Amino acid sequence: MATVEQAPAAAPFIRQDGKDKVTGLGRYTADLSLTGMLYAKFRYADHTHARILRIDTARARQLPGVFAVITHADVPDVRYGAFVQDRTLFAKDVVRFEGELVAAVAALTPEIAAAAVELIEIDYEPLPAVADVEAALAEGATLVHEGWADYSAADEVVRDGNDCSRSTIVKGDIESGLASADVVVKERYVADMSHAVPIEPHAVVAQWNGDKVTVWSSTQVPFMARAGVATTLEMSEADVRIVVPLLGGGFGGKCEFHFEAQVAALARAARRPVRLVFSRREEFVAPDHRREGQVIELETGVMNDGTLVARRGRLVLDNGAYGADAPFFPQLAAMMAVGPYRVPHVSVDASLAYTNTAPSGSVRAPSAPQSCWAVEQHMDSIAGRLGIDPVELRRRNIVKPGDEGSTRQVYDAIGAAETLEKAAELIGYGRELPDDEAIGVACGFWPSFSMPSGAFVKIHGDGSGTIVTGAQECGTGAVMALPLLAAEVLCMRPEQFTIVYQDTDAGPWDAGASGSQTTFNNGRAVIQAAHDIREQLLDLAAEELEASRDDLELGDGMVRVKGSPTKSVEISALAETAAGDKLLLGRGSGSPPPVPDVDASGCTGRLGMESWVGPTFITHAVRCKVDRETGVVRVLEVAAAHDSGRVLNRIGADGQVEGGVVMGIGMALSEGIQLSDDGRQLNPYLLDYKLATASDAPPITVHWVEVPDPGAGPNGAKGVAEPPCVPTPGAIANAIAKVTGARVHRLPMTPTRVWEAMQS
Amino acid sequence: MRYDATLNVNGDSYSVEIEPHRSLLSVLRGELGLAGSKEGCDDSECGACMVLVDGQPVNSCSYLALQTQGREIVTVEGLTGASGELHRLQHAFLAEGGVQCGFCTPGMLISAKALLDSNPHPSEDEVRLALSGNLCRCTGYQGIVRAVMSVAAGSP
Amino acid sequence: MTATYTSAERVDDALAALAAGARPVAGGTDLVVGARHGKAPLPESLVAIHDVAELRGITGSDGGLRLAAMVSHAEIVGHPDVRARYPALADASAIVGSHATRHVGTIGGNLMNASPAMETGGPLICFGAEAVLRSVRGERRVAVADLLVGPGSTSAEPDELLVAVLLPVQPRGAGSCYLRLEYRRHMEIAVVGVTCAVTLAAGGGVEQARIAITALAPTIRRVPEAEQALAGGGADAVSVAAVAVAAAAQPISDVRATADYRRAMAQVIARRAITAALARARGEHVPIPASPALHGAT
Repeated sequence: MATVEQAPAAAPFIRQDGKDKVTGLGRYTADLSLTGMLYAKFRYADHTHARILRIDTARARQLPGVFAVITHADVPDVRYGAFVQDRTLFAKDVVRFEGELVAAVAALTPEIAAAAVELIEIDYEPLPAVADVEAALAEGATLVHEGWADYSAADEVVRDGNDCSRSTIVKGDIESGLASADVVVKERYVADMSHAVPIEPHAVVAQWNGDKVTVWSSTQVPFMARAGVATTLEMSEADVRIVVPLLGGGFGGKCEFHFEAQVAALARAARRPVRLVFSRREEFVAPDHRREGQVIELETGVMNDGTLVARRGRLVLDNGAYGADAPFFPQLAAMMAVGPYRVPHVSVDASLAYTNTAPSGSVRAPSAPQSCWAVEQHMDSIAGRLGIDPVELRRRNIVKPGDEGSTRQVYDAIGAAETLEKAAELIGYGRELPDDEAIGVACGFWPSFSMPSGAFVKIHGDGSGTIVTGAQECGTGAVMALPLLAAEVLCMRPEQFTIVYQDTDAGPWDAGASGSQTTFNNGRAVIQAAHDIREQLLDLAAEELEASRDDLELGDGMVRVKGSPTKSVEISALAETAAGDKLLLGRGSGSPPPVPDVDASGCTGRLGMESWVGPTFITHAVRCKVDRETGVVRVLEVAAAHDSGRVLNRIGADGQVEGGVVMGIGMALSEGIQLSDDGRQLNPYLLDYKLATASDAPPITVHWVEVPDPGAGPNGAKGVAEPPCVPTPGAIANAIAKVTGARVHRLPMTPTRVWEAMQS
Repeated sequence: MRYDATLNVNGDSYSVEIEPHRSLLSVLRGELGLAGSKEGCDDSECGACMVLVDGQPVNSCSYLALQTQGREIVTVEGLTGASGELHRLQHAFLAEGGVQCGFCTPGMLISAKALLDSNPHPSEDEVRLALSGNLCRCTGYQGIVRAVMSVAAGSP
Repeated sequence: MTATYTSAERVDDALAALAAGARPVAGGTDLVVGARHGKAPLPESLVAIHDVAELRGITGSDGGLRLAAMVSHAEIVGHPDVRARYPALADASAIVGSHATRHVGTIGGNLMNASPAMETGGPLICFGAEAVLRSVRGERRVAVADLLVGPGSTSAEPDELLVAVLLPVQPRGAGSCYLRLEYRRHMEIAVVGVTCAVTLAAGGGVEQARIAITALAPTIRRVPEAEQALAGGGADAVSVAAVAVAAAAQPISDVRATADYRRAMAQVIARRAITAALARARGEHVPIPASPALHGAT
């Protein structure tokens, strides 16, 4: 199949928000200060599972400088949740994890607020805490939610007690498939929970004007935040405005609705603006968006020539205390458990277990790096059993155009195999290495997310333009790159456009900086809005030039008659004319690409992940050095080959891969939440929750296998931001196993665990 | 009790009255209105608050403001020239893709300046080690390291 | 929360403040971070000593070196005499925290914080360093080994200020190394650390050996069994000494490592530290800091 080689890097694209960011003049939520503003502080649960017997806020209220103290009793009694409505703004009757909010205080200074929360008296009856996922699903386990059956939930969610959401992927006949195999390999892997760790901790500022509230929030998803505030405070969405100042990273940790309603409720009670800023410890413990832990059991039937014939999987994901947006993860993880390979017989069963730990939620490619880490180690184990080179085993099984996936989705234009070849080539797979070094390879895949989105484009009287979008910039540059798309349609220069964004009162609804969807969906909207303007310009120019509309074309900032370059009119001149009575206003949403046909008839718990629009494919090859005595691993070099369809903004896309790979290195080697027996995080600080530093980050070579996908986003583009962290941990794991001869079955693969694996 | 103090920041002199427990960061961001320096952690691990005190990098979140009296403090706001022209490092961070969310950028720029002031031609590994006290979650450090190396390459 | 603050310009001012109940603050890297981290609140009364000129500088002293209390880790790493004669101390200071920590953090603060994971303690003990403690009542010298009495606790009186650390002269043929197990290449804290300081006789045999463990016991301390094994040993003396180090360790299990792993690493790191110290004693080049080089990361 033909692939398009990447053109040399384009001229540097300087992002519009860049100057504010390098001068320190840009403002993030925690930098905002309003007249009369108070400081918020939360009171968290004292137990990971306990019944609340009494809350007395009197002493806190009496502390001078305290303006408001609120608990569940002070807000509407509303349960909310994206799939299962299991959550309240403040704990109602029972606390279920250490970061659960019991009360909130607004006071004149942060010091007074901190003192006041300590004065709130709470009596508890401790309940047995469930910290382990498998124990949670065992017969007779303590229920995290005694009243789970009474919660309202989306119809498709399959629930039972502590199992918050169960999905299966079934294809062919697993038993006969396994029976027909020459070799069956069975393994078990366990991944610890990890964190998004944006460098900016959460911050929220709320101010009321009459019955309307404006909330400045460090959210990735302002429209979901708006809906959350409206639902929980029983308001109209029109009365809630969410504004996002500059956002200091999210990686999913700031997805969904978080803390906006509690701070708004505090501001209403205090009749003053209120600001909440999290400490790093709170950022670890309180947000219900950490990457879920997983137990992954895989059993694979394979022929002696390496042909995969059957894959059975059993996965248990750690939901934590509340569902958040995690109920669709089991289906995603079940898809991941097969990998980007042709497997005729599949049976995967995945559950999401409630525990008394912090809730899980979307963190960059939720469920994927963990399950890919297990699946790709499993592939190398199979290769070892068969005596086939790991890359060759993948080569024989990786999906190609026309192949079908686990739900019989037939892949169209994809470059999965090309990513494998390219990554192996770039790293020099097979070359001679020192005996403490090895190259590990892993393949992964990830869907794009097809969603509605919207944008306006307006052209001003001087010919400059403004894009008004509902899209959210979390740092990736996806919103900053929107002018490239509008400029291309209108034959203008990108720098002629300003962007109005991150204000729910300005732009149309958008799903936010989540699911790698901004360019995919909002890019489409901006292109359509620009085309709307283009049509209007052609109408105006036809009149101005007294030419037939069909004879006109746009180019170099003007509209001209095809074939007669002298007959033309500048866009700015048309804009000046139009500024009087005709408005040059374009709008667009574009139709979200339809989801491909599948046959998921045998599958349960179908929450939309059975069919993937614009599937992306990735292969990472890493060269690692392992100190065999200490188990310390250094990643020396990474080659990352990606099929994200057509790449629209190279510098932005490269940045996503480089950042994703380094996040993957952290997940692989050092980032893991350590829990006490009752579910408290033992390392909620950066000295012992270790991110990769600049000196741990290796050189990364990025290659784009550009296979434009006609069924995907604008110009054949697919999602870019999430895939880069998917295969990195698996590739590192395979390199470790090659050096040490021992497989590490626990993520992160800390020096202790690598060393332990070598001892056994 | 509060104490009178004079802080010299980016060439400007500020008189403030502050309590002894106040960190330099909180005074910069609060009383002085210089919000470019950020607070990202509790234990001097992230480096978002990095400033120069007498030319040396300091985690301002963990340094008492009163201890900086009589010393020269430089924050990210002080990198930009008097007429608004960007410092070479600021230019390079933008051109090389060293800026995404931007939250680590002020501290990262300060650490980079501290390095180049003392070692104008560092190796790539020296750059990586010197920036290890500044965490970035977006860029994988690649664009940042490229930016610092490009400035070093252009230095006399 | 701190209520009163003074900034001393002379040691006597600081001593008067300490006598009145104040606690000293230099770089604040332990004190302020500890308070922010919820470990211990800031003291009620603080005396800042960063402006006390007498507390600065590295000077010669009886053939050894005198490190005034406010000497920063960066100064130690950059000092040619420290690098040449006390390389284990340079190894240790070179890997404390980040660049910022090394510029702000001082030898005095590092020592008086008395963390069992602190980097400079092992080298100072192995060099036979003494702490000079002064109060309004007078001055006394205490061996660093006797200063560190428990996690976070020293034998200094509350009104005593550490004014200097004295490094005695090292004999000809001496070599030393401090080595730390490092998960990441930078920004680490000791999970296992071993110091070795040796003196070689003219014939090349080990005449004297000092070995100390860091983060492997409630305080940093020497391991006499390992020292004897190395000084008196034969061909496998290094291995025997390393085994003795592991045997003497009292490791714990916590978020950083399991006790089993710590004990196993005590042996590995000890063997590497001893090997590097011997190499330096023989005049061979081992970079400073020794850690990344010996872990094969460069």
